[in-house]
Formats: sequence, C-alpha cells, structure tokens
Amino acid sequence: MAREVGTRFAESEFYIDPARVEEYVTALGVAPEQDYRAEVGSVVPPGFFMYVTSYGAEPIHDALDFDMLRTVFGGSEVEHRSPVRVGDRLTVRPWISGVTEKDGKSGHLTFVELTTEYSREDGTIVALERSNTVQRG
Amino acid sequence: MRLSVGDTLPEVETPPIDRLRIAYMAVSMRDPNLVHVEDEVAARSGLRSVIAHGTFVVSYAGAAVSRAVGVDAVRVLKVDVTAPVFPGDVLRTRAVVTRSEPVEEGEMLTVDLSVTRHDGTEVGRGSASVLQQAVT
Repeated sequence: MAREVGTRFAESEFYIDPARVEEYVTALGVAPEQDYRAEVGSVVPPGFFMYVTSYGAEPIHDALDFDMLRTVFGGSEVEHRSPVRVGDRLTVRPWISGVTEKDGKSGHLTFVELTTEYSREDGTIVALERSNTVQRG
Repeated sequence: MRLSVGDTLPEVETPPIDRLRIAYMAVSMRDPNLVHVEDEVAARSGLRSVIAHGTFVVSYAGAAVSRAVGVDAVRVLKVDVTAPVFPGDVLRTRAVVTRSEPVEEGEMLTVDLSVTRHDGTEVGRGSASVLQQAVT
C-alpha cells in the first residue's frame, strides 16, 4: 500500500476492558492517580490511548510496509475531547495524515503521521491521537 | 492541588523498567515487534539491547501530570520520544506549569514535560494541557 496522505484503514472496535487497563498500569508500575482503580466507570489514564493505538497494530504496520528493524516511534499527541471511561466501547478509525521524506546526516528518513479517531456509538469523537513513526533508509 | 504558572508538579520516579515489565507490556499490547524482547533483533537495529516501548515514556509523562491534577483534568498530552529506554533504566518526569489561559470552566494550564534517564539523558519531552476548574 502506498503511504499516501488520506489513506484510511479498516475501522475496528475497542472495548476498554478493566483487565486491559489493569495490565497497562501493572506493566508501567506507576498508577495514574494514587489509589487508582481500573474498574468500570473510572476515567482512563492519559497515556492509555497509545496502548489502544498500538494494540494489535501489526496489520497497519504491514500495510504501511514498515521494516520494524529500521523503524522507531517518534511521539504522540492525544486530545481528550470527552472523558473516556473503563467499560466504554469505542470505534477506532486510523488514517494517514502526513508523510514527509527527508535526507539528513543519518541518511534517508520517512516520517509517517497516523491520526486515529476514537468515537462513541453516536458518532461523537471523544479522542483524537496523532502519532509519528520514522523509518530509516 | 491548585496550580499557578511557575509551579513544579511533584516529580514521579519510575521503578526500574526491567525486561519483565517490557515483555509484559509487549504481550498485553499484542505487539509482535521482537526489538522489545530479543537482544539479537535489537542488535540488528543497532541497539545495545532490547528497548522499552514508547508507551512507557508517554505514559510516565502523563502519569506525572494526572497524579497531580487527576486523570479527568488532562485535555491534551503531547510527548516526543527523543532517546531509547533500556532495561534497568529509571525515569523521572519534570513537569512545570508554564502558561494559563482563561476558559469557560476555569483556566487551561500548559505543563511542560521532560522525561529523563538516571544518567540525565532526556528520553521524552512535550507538554500537557490541563483544565483547572474555577473555584466556586
């Protein structure tokens, strides 16, 4: 698949299972609030959308033809438009929002910006994430 | 905690990000990229060992903010990953309030973020926008 701006990937559904949030917090070893409980109704931690975007992202990386040995994660920006809670069921819509090629001291670099919209059943976008991935060579 | 421009949020120091923690995150996120679990694969990427996911850096930066203001107050979290994190690294996040803008519900604070390894290397930097509700 060409890395063309505007390319949309198949949408998927992500259920914010309490077990997922608990695993995420356990892996980090730092709770997002003192005495935070990953139970239905709790607002999700601010870094959790990166977990959701990365969750099972292999098909997207394959479609982008990324060589994971030459690829690094550059960063992300998440805009929280409405509180997202454990137990919510979100529709996830990723698309390519930017492609930049550069030649520098470390050779040829390709920057791919992926924007992911998260929405509720009524179509309201509750969060928007932009992440950057860089491939060398 | 009421915040003003110039305030520094309490520093959050992580536990050592050991291999088990990284592997646990890889399995939990269904991430098949072996650069996080196999040294040989990491070496082929020019790294001295496996590395932690960017998720760690972004999340620790976010946690430094949410532990001070609450998870429901964070409106934007932007973090660039600037250097790899290796097993055993301990990270610290410095978070400083740099701006305040009035909004309908109170004020929107900008918090500048810097995540560093114990050797002082910055591994992440960015900012957060935080809603501070008006006192009624």
